Amino acid sequence: MSPGILNLTAVNVRKDLRLEWRSKDVLNSMFFFCLLVVVIFSFAFDPSVDESRQMAGGLVWTAFLFSTITALNQSWARELRNGVLDAYRVSPAPAEALFLGKVLGNFILVLLLECLMAPLFVLFYNLQPVGPFWQLAVVFLLGTWALVVNGTFFAVMSIRTRNRELMLPLLLLPVSIPAVASMVLATTQVLTGETAPFLQIKFLAVYCLVFTTACFLLFDTVLNAE
Amino acid sequence: MKSKLFLLWSLITVVLLAYAVYEAAFHAPMERTMFEAQRIFYYHVPAAAASFALFIVNCIASIWFLWKRSPAADALAVAGAEVGVVFCGVVLITGPIWAKYAWGTFWVWDARLTTTLLLWLLYMSYLILRKSSDAGSTSVLAAALAIISSLDIPIVYMSNRWFRTNHPQPVIFNDGLDPKMKLILMWNVFAFMALGILIAWFRYDLERLAQSINSAYIRKAAHAGFAVALPAVFLFQVQGHWPPIRYFHAGALASWIIYLGYIAILMAKFGRLRKEERELHG
Repeated sequence: MSPGILNLTAVNVRKDLRLEWRSKDVLNSMFFFCLLVVVIFSFAFDPSVDESRQMAGGLVWTAFLFSTITALNQSWARELRNGVLDAYRVSPAPAEALFLGKVLGNFILVLLLECLMAPLFVLFYNLQPVGPFWQLAVVFLLGTWALVVNGTFFAVMSIRTRNRELMLPLLLLPVSIPAVASMVLATTQVLTGETAPFLQIKFLAVYCLVFTTACFLLFDTVLNAE
Repeated sequence: MKSKLFLLWSLITVVLLAYAVYEAAFHAPMERTMFEAQRIFYYHVPAAAASFALFIVNCIASIWFLWKRSPAADALAVAGAEVGVVFCGVVLITGPIWAKYAWGTFWVWDARLTTTLLLWLLYMSYLILRKSSDAGSTSVLAAALAIISSLDIPIVYMSNRWFRTNHPQPVIFNDGLDPKMKLILMWNVFAFMALGILIAWFRYDLERLAQSINSAYIRKAAHAGFAVALPAVFLFQVQGHWPPIRYFHAGALASWIIYLGYIAILMAKFGRLRKEERELHG
């Protein structure tokens, strides 16, 4: 990795976060959407305290998964609007820096959303983890990375198709199902304190490693697909 | 030359299929507890083997395409994915018909069923991407997605260790299976593999034809195939006990409707493309 790529990545992340800080488009819509999903779930299933502990893992990740999709679509659509993507393609800057920058920017935004939502989950569903908190933190970091890295990659793929926003979930969800399954299982295990989720954490780490590498290597090809 | 080879292969396939299907339906030994319903197995397992082989073809062709940018590799990737989805669809339809008799329910969220469904979903999303991306970038985007999907397959298998499995354990390569059953199964695997190659070959030629006249309106036939096969499944909404042979008939019927329906759709497409080609050249 040349020294320039890290600087360029940092520039990209800073630019994305500054844009987001000024407009707060993505964060607002993501937060509100997540809130709505949580409320609708509660109406749809009407769980008791014990039930909600059992289903919270699934609920939390479904809400985050769908809100992440709204954020990811926005993050590339912004670049498309002023022809930034084309400018990037003709510039000598390595495409990987753009990809890493986007992934990190989205990762930070989704983590922020999760921090904002956590008190609400505790409030609405009366949740307290029975297992150790650090395990939950590791699961959330790995799980969010898994969603964001694939999501950013598929988002750039889907903005190149005719039905842009519609395409992203169709591509992202099938590939993410194994990761979502293990995140949900791990979260439920920590929340109920039944078993330690080490197997799931290992699995998520492998998943993140495999797909980060694959997306990183294929990004240039996808960006320049003609 | 090529079409002669194709005709020869079609002939071999038809003979193989006729022999294998006849043996499976009438000569295979009766299973002790599932009776004729067990014979769905001779449709289910070969379709699974063929679809798996076709997905591997799709993966290799996609890597080859990204490397050499050859349109032939792209056509092979489409053929592998689309025909693979059709065969995987047969697996997903014959499986539940058998399960209704053996387990009393069409579907359980069991490891192998979930894995197969995920495989089907992955390649379905591949076909959807091909259809909705802009003509210029389709091949590259699809190849990238195919590589990501093929990376996902081992991960899906790994993650499924956590599910309980109801599915019969593999009995084919150890001594759990009656030798005569094994022989007939092998004939069926060969026959349906040959059918898979034949259909994929046809689909490949079709894609090459479409490329050559730059026609963009190839539609995915997989959808229509399933729509045709659905009535066979709805038959089973009927309450009460059916004799096992009815389950076998339904499984066989659903399989053949999908295969023949898909071939018919490809033929219709072929006719349309040929007409367009003739108009362009003459």
